[in-house]
Amino acid sequence: MKFKDYYAALELERDADGDAIKKAYRRLARRTHPDVAKEPGAEERFKEISEAYQTLSDPEKRQAYDDLGRHRSGEEFSPPPDWESRFWREGNRQAGQPAGQEVDLADLFEQMGFGGSGGAGGFSGGGFGPQAGGFQVRGQDLEVTAELTLEQAAKGSEVAFTLSVPSRRADGGMAREPRSGTIRVPRGVADGERLRVPGRGGPGHGGGPAGDLFLEIRLKPHPRFRPVGHDLYLELPIAPWEAALGAEIDLPTLTGTARVTVRPGMRNGQKLRLAGKGLPRRKEGAGDLYGVIQIVMPEQIGDRERELYRELAEASAFNPRPSFEGAAIHG
Amino acid sequence: MADDPLIPAADDSPLALEDLLAASGLAHEEVSELIQFGVFQLTGSGSSWCFHARTLMLARRAARLRDDFGLNVPGMALALTYLERIEALEARLRELECQLPR
Repeated sequence: MKFKDYYAALELERDADGDAIKKAYRRLARRTHPDVAKEPGAEERFKEISEAYQTLSDPEKRQAYDDLGRHRSGEEFSPPPDWESRFWREGNRQAGQPAGQEVDLADLFEQMGFGGSGGAGGFSGGGFGPQAGGFQVRGQDLEVTAELTLEQAAKGSEVAFTLSVPSRRADGGMAREPRSGTIRVPRGVADGERLRVPGRGGPGHGGGPAGDLFLEIRLKPHPRFRPVGHDLYLELPIAPWEAALGAEIDLPTLTGTARVTVRPGMRNGQKLRLAGKGLPRRKEGAGDLYGVIQIVMPEQIGDRERELYRELAEASAFNPRPSFEGAAIHG
Repeated sequence: MADDPLIPAADDSPLALEDLLAASGLAHEEVSELIQFGVFQLTGSGSSWCFHARTLMLARRAARLRDDFGLNVPGMALALTYLERIEALEARLRELECQLPR
């Protein structure tokens, strides 16, 4: 089995007392909790911290962990020969590591509380913890993130996933089982949306029901469209003369193009709305597509263009800065 | 597996109390208090409690915050309210960013 350095996970020395462990957990959990922190990697970090705390906060489990000795994180190791008989009660013993099955340190310690004095103080590990052995235990809920392109979200798509699920073996030990499958995501999902598949999580124990599978939808960035809910935004660059004179423009949509009319006198940031050309909704209808006007200047202009601009400057009485007028009088 | 029902977690399809309790890990008393705080809303007019499906995501979040930080019900109610506001502000920010030139 692979070693995990729980003290390093909590940024603690090995001789830290129970109070220091609790403080370290609270400090680190506040920064990395998935409901609070959005930084990439925060969720993984929180899992490490949480797993470490679950074991180190329980004096019995901590003793068992300390007796495993010091190893490098990720190093393959075996517990000392008499380790199991000292820490596991008869009947819920981890009966060695069966060939080909990876035993996770977290599952091992989780099991230590079963049928005994109860789990670690204060919190559960998501489905297993507080409900002790012998009772019906609901299976673990699983969370999967599905990354879809906008086109996939619009049409519906199959998503393949692979997970490592803790499960109980016939002899009572814990093992990790790979679990893979496909979910058909219906059309009409939006970025950040969560879907629930009842009964598709981890298996229940003692006749308890299976957990649920939760699927979080993330839309991959699209080179053209930016989604807001079911609406799509598209930058619509136009030339200064198109802004002044108006234009007919073929606007790209998710499924093709649509002709839009830019009225004369368009200003930067104004939006053209194409109803129903956004992402389809689940049942019926669709969001809207917005073209956001951006007047762009050519980086270089030719002699003829410069001449025409000069002519325009002379012919026009337009004052773009009327708000500056008062300042000149009082200044 | 491909044909399993997918329940959109954020919509207003009905969710029974038993389902909410089983899938969130909250206790009946906690759900009852969160209703009093106005964080969870009841739907329908039947004799048994019924919620919108989206309440489940809130309930699961509440249970996580309780377990991971040791929050009590008023703490959960406050955190959920703030998180909801932050998410609304983030959505508004994204919407406005979409209207700015890249």
